Amino acid sequence: MQLASFLDARILFVEPHPKTREEIYSEMVSRICKINPLPVCGAKLVDLVLERDRESSTAYPTGLAIPHVRMEGLNDTILSICILQHPIDYDGTPISMIVLIITDKSASRIYLNIVAALLKASKDPEVVAQIRTCRDGHELLSTIKKLEIRVKENLSIQDIMIPNPVTIGPDAKLSELGRVMNEHGLAVLPVVDAQNTYLGEVGVINLLKVGVPDYLMMIDNLNFLSNFEPLEHLFDKEDIVTVREIMYANHVTLSPSTSIIEAVTLMIRYKCRFFSVVENGKLVGVLTAMDVFSKVFKA
Amino acid sequence: MTIMLLALIIFGLAYLFIITEWINKMLAAMIGGFLIIVTGIVSQHTAFAAIDWNVIFFLIGMMMVISVMRQTGLFMFLAIKTAKLAKGQPLRVMMYMYLGTAFISAFLGSVTTIMILVPIVLLIAAELKITPVPFIITMIIASNFGGAATMIGDPPNIMIGSATDYTFIDFVLNLTPPVLLITFSSLLLIWLLYRKGMVVSNQNRAKLMEFNEKNLITNPKMMVWSLIVLALMLGALSLQSVLKVETATIAMSAGLLLLLMNNRKKVENVLVHDIDWVTIFFFIGLFMIVESLVETGFIDALANRVLIATSGEPRATSMVILWISGVFSAIVDNVPFVASMIPLLEKIGTVFHANQLPPQAMDPLWWSLSLGTCLGGNGTMIGASANIVAIGIASHNGFKISFGEYTKIGAIFTLNAMLISTAYIWFRYF
Repeated sequence: MQLASFLDARILFVEPHPKTREEIYSEMVSRICKINPLPVCGAKLVDLVLERDRESSTAYPTGLAIPHVRMEGLNDTILSICILQHPIDYDGTPISMIVLIITDKSASRIYLNIVAALLKASKDPEVVAQIRTCRDGHELLSTIKKLEIRVKENLSIQDIMIPNPVTIGPDAKLSELGRVMNEHGLAVLPVVDAQNTYLGEVGVINLLKVGVPDYLMMIDNLNFLSNFEPLEHLFDKEDIVTVREIMYANHVTLSPSTSIIEAVTLMIRYKCRFFSVVENGKLVGVLTAMDVFSKVFKA
Repeated sequence: MTIMLLALIIFGLAYLFIITEWINKMLAAMIGGFLIIVTGIVSQHTAFAAIDWNVIFFLIGMMMVISVMRQTGLFMFLAIKTAKLAKGQPLRVMMYMYLGTAFISAFLGSVTTIMILVPIVLLIAAELKITPVPFIITMIIASNFGGAATMIGDPPNIMIGSATDYTFIDFVLNLTPPVLLITFSSLLLIWLLYRKGMVVSNQNRAKLMEFNEKNLITNPKMMVWSLIVLALMLGALSLQSVLKVETATIAMSAGLLLLLMNNRKKVENVLVHDIDWVTIFFFIGLFMIVESLVETGFIDALANRVLIATSGEPRATSMVILWISGVFSAIVDNVPFVASMIPLLEKIGTVFHANQLPPQAMDPLWWSLSLGTCLGGNGTMIGASANIVAIGIASHNGFKISFGEYTKIGAIFTLNAMLISTAYIWFRYF
């Protein structure tokens, strides 16, 4: 799909004067409402946009802001674009282009794909330069058409994964592993060598298992045992045992192009909330069930 | 003749793979079993008819019974109670666990007993801060003794019971006395071997006494009902000659009843996880392979050789069977051995009959086969499945038991058991 297919020249504009965020949003909303009969409009819609902005930042470091409103029963995706000749400060990030997206409550896939396409375009200096020369909505639309900015139809893992995650080396001692987990509040870490080659995963369960001998795992029921000393031996082993000895080496991994639905079914099938994303043997990111939930279902 | 040679080659190769475990033993037995059909040595019909379904369904039924009994926590309760009765005195714990293992094995079979009890003894040894190795070795020995005592304790006995007319009670009357003698005389050996050297501090002993085994019985009602069904099963087995019901039917009835009572919603779980299908198909494959040796006349030829060597005299034949079984079982898995010995003994039986010997003349031969195979399994580390399982669990937990270390102890106990068995067969039956 072409990004241009989602656009209407009447709700694209270039703002030559310094204005506030609220003023721009009001202008966008009034233009949108003039041509689209929305269930919620006017000042109420502006409030919704501002409210969303307050929830979490919609600004990206490339100078792009993508405020977003979900509307029950809309059944469409509406994009309004404003090019600012005088950047507006979004909590420290100077923003020179605002894309307001109004979607249906359930249309997360298209929304995410549009965001991904916009972000990709905003990272390309050539694209940014061409867009900045536009003087009005019609020019903007024809430029976007000419640039052939595409919206992917399928969302893949690389669009929602966490790139450059916290990792641990295979030769790190358990004490270090514990420290890193504690510091970042993480229950699972990918294990990589110095060249970022993916080796496996290590989690808090692997760590706890060091303190539990094998035979205890073979006893059907341990409720006759109120305390157990070997668990305390975890502390003695902390500075001897390395991550390599306790990590899972043969875990299922995802590739950046894995689709979201495949990743979700893998999470359910393996009852696993954490996957490493690996490309050509190198770790490129991680994906947790919470990422899928917050970025796809709650986006 | 060539066809007999082909059958022997298939049997030999399957046997080689089974004892070396170069490939999974179930796979080896099943491939061998169907190879004899593919090569036309026996027809599919004959091969399938050779499968002893009484053994197969008996095993499945017992696995169901054990699966439910295990969930009651009763056996763990007994194990912990036993250790506490010994008040944490290491030699006493060892002797009590030895007796407990033998007793439970007589009903649950040696492998299941080992899988339940060895992890517990590892825990006890860790709490007492002593090495578990002597405990594990003596428990392996006990599990094989206990299994030998009843018809349902060890696979060779199940197979012999199914192939012959002997009832559960016949096994109790003929095998339990020598096994009791062997078990208790071995207790003396344990005392001689281990009476010195195991010291436990009062503090560690106190920790063992803190175990609260009562928590293990999570569902007393289920336990009582399971015990009632178990008692009914043993009762039915004892009255087999009156009831005229075969063992597989009794075991399956008990197993299905227990499943119905306790696991209605979890039947699938029991069928998938607790029925050891690998073992079941291993048996099926073995029965098929052995049939090819019977069909081609190899077993007949072998039986004639044995009878020539022993001049067809029951006492000498018994002694040969006892000792060959003992030595063989110490080195290889005893199940394929018994599977091939059963048709051999059946053949000898027909020859005895032709020679006007009374039917009881076969008794010492069958009991010799049973005692030799079950007790011989203790001889080395790889002599029986229980040994392999127990040593595997120990090694997983960082206690490597070497072949020599096991055999040094195992051989003493096996020699004692074999000598008592020899004397028993000699004086009781002749």
